[in-house]
Amino acid sequence: MTRVLVLGANGFVGRRVVAALTAAAWATPVAGSFRAVPSLPLAASPPVARVTVDATDRAALAAAVEGVDAIVNCIAGDPGTIDRNAAALAAVAGDRRIVHLSSMAVYGSATGLLDETAPLRGDTGAYAAAKVAAEQTLIASTDVVILRPGCIYGAGSPQWTTRIATLLAQRRIGDLGAGGDGCSNIVHVDDVAAAVLLALRSDHRGAAFNLAMPDAPDWNGYFLALARACGAVPIRRIPAWQLKLEKAAAIPLKLAEQVTRALPPPIPPSLLRFWAQNVTLDSTAATDRLGVRWTPLAAGLADLCRGSGGDGHAI
Amino acid sequence: MMLTNRKRLAIRGVGVIASANDLGDARDLSADICIVGAGAVGISLALALGDQGIDVLLVEAGTTAHDERVQDFYRGTVVDPALHSPLIDYRERRLGGTTTIWGGRCMPLDDIDFERRDWIAHSGWPIGPDALAPYYPRANALCEAGAFDYRADTALRPDARPMIDGFDGRDVSTDRLERFSCPTDFGTRYRTRLAQARTVRVLTDAAVVAIRLDDQGMQVDRLDLRDAQGDAFSIRARHVVLGTGGLETVRLMLASRDVHPHGIGNHHDVLGRYYMSHLAGTIGTFHAARGARSVWHGYDIADDGTYCRRRLAITEAAQRTHRIGNVVARLHHPRIADGRHGTGPLSALYLGRALVPRLYRARLAGNEADGIAGLVRHAANVIRQPAAVAAFAVRMLTDRRLAERKFPSVVVVPRHGNYSLDFHAEQQPNPDSRVMLGTDRDRWGMPRLSVDWRYSPGDIDTVKTALALLAADVERSGVGRFDYDPEEVEREMTRYGAYPGHHIGTARMGTSPRSSVVDADCRVHGLRNLHLAGASVFPTSSQANPTLTAVALALRLADRLGDQLKNGAAT
Repeated sequence: MTRVLVLGANGFVGRRVVAALTAAAWATPVAGSFRAVPSLPLAASPPVARVTVDATDRAALAAAVEGVDAIVNCIAGDPGTIDRNAAALAAVAGDRRIVHLSSMAVYGSATGLLDETAPLRGDTGAYAAAKVAAEQTLIASTDVVILRPGCIYGAGSPQWTTRIATLLAQRRIGDLGAGGDGCSNIVHVDDVAAAVLLALRSDHRGAAFNLAMPDAPDWNGYFLALARACGAVPIRRIPAWQLKLEKAAAIPLKLAEQVTRALPPPIPPSLLRFWAQNVTLDSTAATDRLGVRWTPLAAGLADLCRGSGGDGHAI
Repeated sequence: MMLTNRKRLAIRGVGVIASANDLGDARDLSADICIVGAGAVGISLALALGDQGIDVLLVEAGTTAHDERVQDFYRGTVVDPALHSPLIDYRERRLGGTTTIWGGRCMPLDDIDFERRDWIAHSGWPIGPDALAPYYPRANALCEAGAFDYRADTALRPDARPMIDGFDGRDVSTDRLERFSCPTDFGTRYRTRLAQARTVRVLTDAAVVAIRLDDQGMQVDRLDLRDAQGDAFSIRARHVVLGTGGLETVRLMLASRDVHPHGIGNHHDVLGRYYMSHLAGTIGTFHAARGARSVWHGYDIADDGTYCRRRLAITEAAQRTHRIGNVVARLHHPRIADGRHGTGPLSALYLGRALVPRLYRARLAGNEADGIAGLVRHAANVIRQPAAVAAFAVRMLTDRRLAERKFPSVVVVPRHGNYSLDFHAEQQPNPDSRVMLGTDRDRWGMPRLSVDWRYSPGDIDTVKTALALLAADVERSGVGRFDYDPEEVEREMTRYGAYPGHHIGTARMGTSPRSSVVDADCRVHGLRNLHLAGASVFPTSSQANPTLTAVALALRLADRLGDQLKNGAAT
């Protein structure tokens, strides 16, 4: 049995990775999280081994990896957290296989069809730059396989399912016209978890793999499919003037939200730009070399209202 | 910025939208495929070829906005002005073409439209419905008309209402839909996508004035163009596609006669003939036996947000049995100008008609004979129904004016449950209905067009028979009565002349050069590298508005051209 430490095990992706490892005959997960978790929402029997660890702290991490054969790094956070986590992990990993969850953000402002050889511009902000630096830190000294998912959707996905569903229900998004022409580059969270397991056992040391379903819909297409799945149809065409208004209102709305804690959160202008951006992740390598099989969109959306892995988090 | 554009334009394979006025010294351009005309068809074709990574130069004679000086190139003569709108109306010489002003009604052709029908002379397409089926869904998406689903039972929500409660037609169906585009202006909607396509260049202010053939007259050697100042430049391309609409395409080909004296593709005097539109009008009164509550003549909204509407359609079987063309109809509010409808919102529209766009105003023309009494009647209607008028005004403001997906038309429930009938019928191909070169010329010396649109006795028969079948089905179903005067049919169907903006059949598709201009692949007979895209190639007009099918044909052409270029490169 391979003992696999999952860092960020209480996050959206981490939970699915722990569940997938639990189900695998060859692996035993150790769920590592920053905060102690009273009861990890997993219907696993026997219960999953848990460890409380600050994944940015070298000493704490060194203790946590004792007796562990491999590490899955699902740590999310601000740029400082990303930096410190990568440094700590690189220092303590030894010859253990690391599967590192990076992001399509590493490609920064690049446009068009991007495979893994595209330059890592990381030029769209501190987060993107930190993600690039983390990849480089890990590649330099560890046995790492890097996964670069696009937008991870699935029941419980805060960013790409829950938030979108809320905005659809509020009729603030829908058919965005040219504003939703960008490729969604979505990937189902189960496919990410499956890719992690494949990467743990692959011999592609130092390789990076884009993760996005082939022929992913554009954002307009994804919004319609999601709206159908949660009954928010008919969707509405959002006029360009309304999107401009959303952009202009983003800062006042954010302030109002913080003050009142009642008003709807703004749609960040960066997100509005992102939905129109002409970027398509080429995930051929993940298909061919890792052997990832992709969940069709209909199947990926089918279980939306059933929650994720029994944790009760309906979208 | 201008300099940058100019430099980039000279480089093959860099996506940009530029003006020919900024070409500078780079006056000999080249491309693998040159598309002339950036309307629905040209833009769809360019995007589809761009997806294949093919080097495309899309040229547009106009600029990015309406410009009267540019529009003047469309001026021409109409033999009978009562039967055809002026040639500068209902077509736009600018990026986006006529989609900048279209109504957005979409529907595919019916299977019977492709058939050679022995009761309609010159009918029959060289391709069948299967040839277009793979392309319609993408065409629908490009038109932003939602899913390619035109059946009421699958496209609408289960609680959608029938058109007329209890109607069960033998010859007329109500379960087929028309769907509506936003209406999408292709120039605005796809401008970013065109600019992002790495192998597509778009050049505005670039008017083709001549198609130059090689000495043998077997292929296009180059296109001669003028920028907005009239300075000449040229384009050489391996393939040329004209996507300039059913009138301008004819003009370009007829006017390019230095090698072939009768114009390009016109060895057998077919080019410009068989000019069709649709025969449309408003006639009669449908009295709903159970009142307006038993009728739903408005729009339904599909899941994807598109407006859909049921149509009364003459079944294919009835068309065969009665040997007529294809016809659809819709229930319509009573004639607006006649205040006896007693309906406030309609009277408000009548009184406020000065605010309605010019091209739509003709249909609001009043009965001058009614004079002051008519105006008083309208005013009384408005005063008596303030709530209905206000609700109507709010809807027009929010769902039409402010909305990007616009409520497609005026839908008002008539107070007395009496509806008029809007019909839209196929026009039969008639070689005497034609587009020719006139004697005057435009600023670049190109001959202007002269249009002689004609309808035929068969067209009157088609509409008359369809109305009779509808009246019989209404009667038989016991849902009311449809009254109309058969003697009025011809007058009503020609009241406004040819349905404006549908320019069909002038360069028809067929197997023989003796009776057609292009082959089944939309290639001009006898020319290796000249292709036509648009409704000009339709051999028959169907009942359907032509844009959706024109876009589908353009997407099919994109596949054909892609294959040819790849095969050409291989050998």
